[in-house]
Amino acid sequence: MPIFGEALRNALQKRATLLYPFEKRAVAEDYRGKVEIDYNLCIGCGLCAKDCPSSAIELVLTSDNKKKPKYYISRCTFCAQCAESCPRKAIKMTPFYELATYNRKAEVVDPCGISQ
Amino acid sequence: MSTAIDIPIGPQHPALKEPINITCYVDGEQVVGAKLRMGYNHRGIEKAGEYQSYIQNLYLAERICGICGIVHSFSLAQATEDIIGKELPRRADYIRTIGLELNRVHSHLLWLGVAAHEVGFDTLFMYVWRDREAVMDLIEEVTGNRVTYALVTIGGVRRDLPQERAEKVLRVMDLLEEKVKKYKKMCIDEKTLRMRCDGVGLLRKEDAIALCAVGPTARASGVPYDVRADDPHAAYDEIPFKVVTYDTCDVTARVLVRIDETLESINIIREAIKKMPSGPIRVRLPRVVPAGEGVGRTEAPRGEVIHYVRSNNSDKPFRWKVRAPTLANFLSIPVMLTSKGDYVVNIADIPIAFASIDPCMSCTDRAIKFVDVNDGKSWVWSLSQIKRVSHGGGR
Amino acid sequence: MMLQEVIDIVKVLVFPGFLFFSILGLLYEWIDRKFYARLQNRVGPLYTGPSGFLQPFADFVKLMAKEDVVPEGAEKPIFSAVPVFALALSLFAVLFLPVYGTRGIISFEGDIVVLMVIMTLFVVLIFLGGISSASRYSEIGSERAILQLLGYEIPLVASVIGAAAVTVKANPSLSIRGIVEAQSGLWSIFGIQALGFAIFLLAAQAELERTPFDIPEAETEIVAGWMTEYSGKKLALLRLARDVELAFLCGLGATLFLGGPQPVFPGAAGTVISTVLFVVKSIVVLLILTLLRAAMSRLRIDQMVNFAWKYLMPLSILQLSLAVLIPNLLAF
Repeated sequence: MPIFGEALRNALQKRATLLYPFEKRAVAEDYRGKVEIDYNLCIGCGLCAKDCPSSAIELVLTSDNKKKPKYYISRCTFCAQCAESCPRKAIKMTPFYELATYNRKAEVVDPCGISQ
Repeated sequence: MSTAIDIPIGPQHPALKEPINITCYVDGEQVVGAKLRMGYNHRGIEKAGEYQSYIQNLYLAERICGICGIVHSFSLAQATEDIIGKELPRRADYIRTIGLELNRVHSHLLWLGVAAHEVGFDTLFMYVWRDREAVMDLIEEVTGNRVTYALVTIGGVRRDLPQERAEKVLRVMDLLEEKVKKYKKMCIDEKTLRMRCDGVGLLRKEDAIALCAVGPTARASGVPYDVRADDPHAAYDEIPFKVVTYDTCDVTARVLVRIDETLESINIIREAIKKMPSGPIRVRLPRVVPAGEGVGRTEAPRGEVIHYVRSNNSDKPFRWKVRAPTLANFLSIPVMLTSKGDYVVNIADIPIAFASIDPCMSCTDRAIKFVDVNDGKSWVWSLSQIKRVSHGGGR
Repeated sequence: MMLQEVIDIVKVLVFPGFLFFSILGLLYEWIDRKFYARLQNRVGPLYTGPSGFLQPFADFVKLMAKEDVVPEGAEKPIFSAVPVFALALSLFAVLFLPVYGTRGIISFEGDIVVLMVIMTLFVVLIFLGGISSASRYSEIGSERAILQLLGYEIPLVASVIGAAAVTVKANPSLSIRGIVEAQSGLWSIFGIQALGFAIFLLAAQAELERTPFDIPEAETEIVAGWMTEYSGKKLALLRLARDVELAFLCGLGATLFLGGPQPVFPGAAGTVISTVLFVVKSIVVLLILTLLRAAMSRLRIDQMVNFAWKYLMPLSILQLSLAVLIPNLLAF
């Protein structure tokens, strides 16, 4: 019964549990978190919207009559296909992963709001 | 059978984390028969795939199963590349192999924990899952996320494995090998664990062959069937490895097959990193796939996965068909759960025997026919009938 | 006279009676969970109270406030009565335990025999509770509880009677008081009773339905066994009864084998020291029980009964005969 020794040894070790909201572990270097769109680089080609597997990106008309992507965080599956498809590298993945909110409006990155 | 009462296990039951129903006929504590019923979790993924482009389908395929995610996207990519017929850069093959094997290590450790929990050995469960975190973190490091890897793309892989990351992988593998060896010893030595696993969930070799069992379930019954060895894909043709088989045909054999395979996977990863050639990691392939048929298959942690794709010269597949390993292994469940002659199945053996095939309902569920539970009538609906019903009309 | 009666009532209701043991039971549940978690390299209860030690109490309060569902086909009077009787029974049992001094609130010649009967009655209650809930899982659970009782009851009784054998030399007695007094010098665990203690621990584990003998409430097999259909207040009472029973068995182990609460010196200070001694000793028993729980997987019912009759029973009879014979042989 080697488990007795193993269990007692473990009882003296530091706990493996991470007390999550209070302690956070660092994410990996190239972690795929929330998508960030640089609207200055964007040319509105719509490839990101075409390739997105979960329809998280939608092209909308901004006030100055240009097509720009609108990003729904709650729909995003963080696959980074948009970042790969973007011909101008205007889309980047950031390491932010705590994206839950009580407000559905806050889960949308709207180019109309930004350009105003 | 006259005194038998039927016990429904599932669709909601603490032993089964996914919805399926096993009706066991029980006489006292002895199980005299079992019947499976599935269809609680049909998601229509194959149909959804026909309305999306190949690239979007990769991510959809990855979500067929959360545990062997890379396996499905890999197989779909393989099938698509089969139609296009273009060679991949070797480095991409090696990185895919590393991804597949990391997936296997994590999946087998996960299963070992679940199996320990099913027999009430929660301490082993906690230890194994704690150490599984190491490989999960590694997967995050290598692919960018813990569960959905998004590593494979049509024509190669999306992320390179630079030298320093490869070294980190090797370091974690050393650590993990030591731990897994310790758990192997524990599984062999712990008396109470062995009492619960020895001779339980018996699937004889001839039954395993007749019922087309795949993966560790088949290998634990002494059938040396492994797609990696029988039909080498990715970089498996250049990496030597052993197909682990045991011949006691019971749950203990399945535990040991999986632990030994984990050790074997660790060696494959080491070997792959050592032999990995330099060069490009992907080739650009056209978005429109010419008309044709392609098949991709690989050895998932649970057994053989087959993806079939038929294309019609557009950027969306005409038909996409997935055969997940659990579907092949389901047939052996009623055999494992039926007492026959000397072989006695207890109620207490149901969870561990069922869990021993590592069932995954989400990748398996099929809707074949409709059954009215009140009178047992069954019928099949055509697509147009389903559409009419879903729009609120009658059949 | 009046004062004496008030003191007696306070003794039964507060210390060392119902309230004391209820709190002790909840405290032991916390120790059990915390130590179990530490053995598994986890943290266990953490946020309710310092180090989470109010967690069992919070669980109790929460369950009391929850909806109480009685299944439609259940035998309602029995189903509802079982939790109350279970709590009453375990609270009755603790009155026999000497918390300070050598005698409990109830103490008479032959009281350990009554204790054995109470422990068996507890299983009968479990059986009734399971059978009356009209659920297949409960039914299987209660069948298993009775089968399990057949396995561990005789070893349990034998180990307890064996513990009484220490009194043979001076003043033969079948009472807890006699056993505690006989251990004023050497504790009975040092000697042949070490075997008895081991048997007692395993049997207690079975009585409490903890791994490896948590067969009647095997989570992954039959949901929660005989407890499946209980909810709300009834579940809260059952859990409290379980906790008190845990405290009772740990206390009994400490009393019978670890010397119990030896009266150090008279007066209030002596009472406090003896009580602390009793609690510390029973916590030692509890920690061993927790370690056993962490280190094994759940057996099957046939394996359990097999093990009990093949190994536990002969060993307990051997232990009992040695315990009775050796002092007599020495006397010659």
